[in-house]
Amino acid sequence: MSLVTKEIECSGETLKLTNSRVLYWQREKMLVLSDLHIGKTAHFRKAGIAIPSQVLHNDLKRLKNLIQHFDIETILIVGDLFHAEVNKDIQTFKEWKVQFEAKEWRLIKGNHDRLQLSIYEDLGIEIDKSFHERTPFRFVHDVNHCQEAIFCISGHTHPGVLIKGRGKQFIKLPCFQVSKSQLILPAFSEFTGLNTGCDDKGTICYAFTKTNLFEI
Amino acid sequence: MKKAFKDTDGYGIIANWMAEKGNTPFDFQLQTWESYANNYSGVVVAPTGFGKTFSVFLAVVIDYLNNPDSHKKGLKLLWISPLRSLAKDLAKAMTAAVEEIGLDWTIEVRNGDTSQKDRRRQERLMPDVLLTTPETVHILFSQKNNSKFFKHLKCVAVDEWHELLGSKRGVLTELAITRLLSLTKDLKIWGITATIGNLEEAQNVLIPYDGFKTKMIVAKEKKKIEIVTVLPDDIEVLPWAGHMGTKMVSKIIPIIYANQTTLIFTNTRNQSEMWYQMILNEAPDLAGQLAIHHGSIDFTLRNWIEDSISDGLLKAVVCTSSLDLGVDFKPVDCVIQIGSAKGIARFMQRAGRSGHSPYEVSKIYFIPTHSLELIEAAALKQAVKEKRIEAREPMVMTFDVMIQFMVSLAVGEGFDSKKLYEMILRTHAFQFMTKDDWHWAIQFITQGGNTLNAYEEFHKVIKDDDGLYKVKSRRISMLHRMNIGAIVSDAMLKVKFFSGGYVGMVEEYFISKMKIGDHFILAGRVLEIVNIKDMTVFVKRSKSKSARAPSWLGGRLPLSSYLSQYLRIKLAESLEPKTSEKELKFLHPLISQQEKHSHIPRLDEFLVELIETKDGFHLFMYPFEGRLVHEVMAALIAFRLSQIKPLTFTIAMNDYGFELLCDQEIPIDESNVEQLLSKENLMDDVIGSINASEMASRKFRDIAVISGLVVQSQPGNRKNNKSLQSSSGLIFRVLEDYEPQNLLLRQAYTEVFNQQLEEVRLKAAFERISHSKIIIKHAKSFTPLSFPIKVDSLRQSLTSEDLDSRIKRIKNEVLRSTQI
Repeated sequence: MSLVTKEIECSGETLKLTNSRVLYWQREKMLVLSDLHIGKTAHFRKAGIAIPSQVLHNDLKRLKNLIQHFDIETILIVGDLFHAEVNKDIQTFKEWKVQFEAKEWRLIKGNHDRLQLSIYEDLGIEIDKSFHERTPFRFVHDVNHCQEAIFCISGHTHPGVLIKGRGKQFIKLPCFQVSKSQLILPAFSEFTGLNTGCDDKGTICYAFTKTNLFEI
Repeated sequence: MKKAFKDTDGYGIIANWMAEKGNTPFDFQLQTWESYANNYSGVVVAPTGFGKTFSVFLAVVIDYLNNPDSHKKGLKLLWISPLRSLAKDLAKAMTAAVEEIGLDWTIEVRNGDTSQKDRRRQERLMPDVLLTTPETVHILFSQKNNSKFFKHLKCVAVDEWHELLGSKRGVLTELAITRLLSLTKDLKIWGITATIGNLEEAQNVLIPYDGFKTKMIVAKEKKKIEIVTVLPDDIEVLPWAGHMGTKMVSKIIPIIYANQTTLIFTNTRNQSEMWYQMILNEAPDLAGQLAIHHGSIDFTLRNWIEDSISDGLLKAVVCTSSLDLGVDFKPVDCVIQIGSAKGIARFMQRAGRSGHSPYEVSKIYFIPTHSLELIEAAALKQAVKEKRIEAREPMVMTFDVMIQFMVSLAVGEGFDSKKLYEMILRTHAFQFMTKDDWHWAIQFITQGGNTLNAYEEFHKVIKDDDGLYKVKSRRISMLHRMNIGAIVSDAMLKVKFFSGGYVGMVEEYFISKMKIGDHFILAGRVLEIVNIKDMTVFVKRSKSKSARAPSWLGGRLPLSSYLSQYLRIKLAESLEPKTSEKELKFLHPLISQQEKHSHIPRLDEFLVELIETKDGFHLFMYPFEGRLVHEVMAALIAFRLSQIKPLTFTIAMNDYGFELLCDQEIPIDESNVEQLLSKENLMDDVIGSINASEMASRKFRDIAVISGLVVQSQPGNRKNNKSLQSSSGLIFRVLEDYEPQNLLLRQAYTEVFNQQLEEVRLKAAFERISHSKIIIKHAKSFTPLSFPIKVDSLRQSLTSEDLDSRIKRIKNEVLRSTQI
């Protein structure tokens, strides 16, 4: 996997999209990502569904590479850091996070983030209940918390695109959805589904693969 | 020996009882009773309507009457049938029989509809006869102390075995039987089946066990079938699929009026909704006497419709394969098949839905939806005459089903690994399973997968102190019980009226493409979407004229290989039809047009057409092997062509042939066509031409659900385990990355080759082509054979209005050019 980036302009700011499912805001030295769903694979395993733990290890490895690659002060997670209950995956995350304690970690609570506040405090993560503003952007989990006239950056939907090939073949790829007033991030975790529905004509999708990032 | 049986009390009682009712047993019934009395197991092959139920059922009764002491209290006969609806009526008939005979047996049904109260009662004391489904037997296996239910079981009967064979439900049945054998002594196994192409095999799959005396009993009685092809008023020289429908409606109405009750079979739910509307528009009088029945209609509504058919309250029912099987509806005296039935067995089965009494003739009208289907009518007639019926291939090595079975047992009483391995090895489906496979399966349910990768907190099945493998978690047990079975439906949403009242179900896939305020047709009603919430679509009635009928996925069945063979024969003969073949005579204008501008392939020929139009360069080939094989062949030919010259193709196909469309001239001629159609390197080229991983991922969907990797959400169920939702595609990807040796993944690839690519059929087709003379024809415009394929491909990219005008335009162009 090679890191591919693309710079786009939103509300006069330059944002760098990556094929590693994050965006980087250079001026604020901020890494923005969404929908990590840590604990999801363990949650499945507890229910008797065999999903390898490797999935989480891979996600964390990718995040580590990104934090080391860019010049970063803040890691902003726009929701769904954790998937469900406290389980071993969260312990793994906690141990992993120690190496980046000097950074500012912020989380805007997503619909999955229902753990006690003390758990986040314990992890050293600042919590925003429904949004976080840093001019000129408003960061939210779900677009319901967007406000008109402020460019909104969100997650939650796990956007994807459907690319049809010859015959009846098709592939689905994750993407960033960007319009005039908002940007929706792809889900960071690889163990997440994709929603390929997008009715809005004014939206540009930046889809990516392991080696490429392109506009659709 | 024979005399001895007829002298027994049991036989006497039954014979008297039948005589009182004015009946005498059919030969095959007598044979079954006697064989059963002589400790045989076996298979009964009989057409419907001749009392095949009573062959096996009364055999058990007679045995009981003759040896009452050898039968203990509790379950004696376990009756497994594929259909729930069948059980209810069978139980009624059996209860009536034992009451008249004067036997104190209880006969009960158990399936998903059985109330909690009745289930608990049955678990305290099993009835003498239990009618159930393969799934319910496995659910019984997942209960504590279930082996006591089957301790005194004497016979397991599998009804409609031909329906189960060839599917994973058949494997469920095999596994159920092998376990029952370990729970009771001297169990007899009997199957009841309609005629299929591989009866011997069907028996071997059901009873592969050592030490069994087996007998196949074939009824001499035959069902007479009368096939009437309804011809359109005029012939379309350029036919296209579906188009003739509207014109044919007026032909159906008199047939409906002339008969008491008519079943109108369509191939897809989508078509059934359309025909229901068309018939009502043509004959508004039928409102209230016309019903629609398919798998997505509310269960209680379907029951009501079935009861109404039985009571003779309905004139006609538009249906899909949902009524292929099931209760015998006495009033039904006529069947209409709309469009191709795609297979001989299915066509005969549908015909058999009318005229149920013995010796009554089954009447079936065939309504072609495009002119070429008239050739199919001629093919069907000949096939029925020659009784060439498709085989049902049993499934093997379906590890998803085995894993489910293992966990069911672990949820129930627990299992001993060695004993279970030997038990499963005895079945037909898993006779070639290796020790390694078994070891993997045990590891999969206990540790999640390969030991090298940690599967932390995974404790699905645990080896207990007593050495048995068990499920300890209540949650896992509950999730597993909900998931037992091998029928995987697409994610379905309930459709309810906003004001209350349940309409039916639609696929999530269909609804996901619609918005609130859109209209669609379901259960014959035009509905407007008001809201979508909790897996439920809330709707209100609408007067809108333009509404879409849901297209349910997987509605299109490919043509069976037997039927396609007859199709080729009939097409070859079509230039000189026999006088008796009115379909072919009627088609003559079309056939001669095809012969004049291109060619009619004879039996030893293979036709290739090259047509150049404004759209580009078209290549048509006509293997007549069914849609699925054509899809693969088209990709393969495109792949081989693109090795000559890099080209991009658009692919289209139907059951007769396929099209490759290209914007540049296609490099094919007499010099290289044999090379392109060569059977050399066939499978290598196929793998090169398709995205096998993508296809396997789609096949993995069912496997993931059956093996418990995906939790199916129950429509309308509040507890939909949302946090456990994931798509099988996602799990497929994760496993490909981290557990490539997973047997379930390998199974997905095997299923692609066996079912999707139909490897055997594909190879046979290329073998046949290699012996054929290849004829290349250049045509200036679309030919009668190519036109339907072209239209089908247009349909995919255009709305229906555009389609009509576009087709008209193409037709005009063709007619102009052929007149010159």
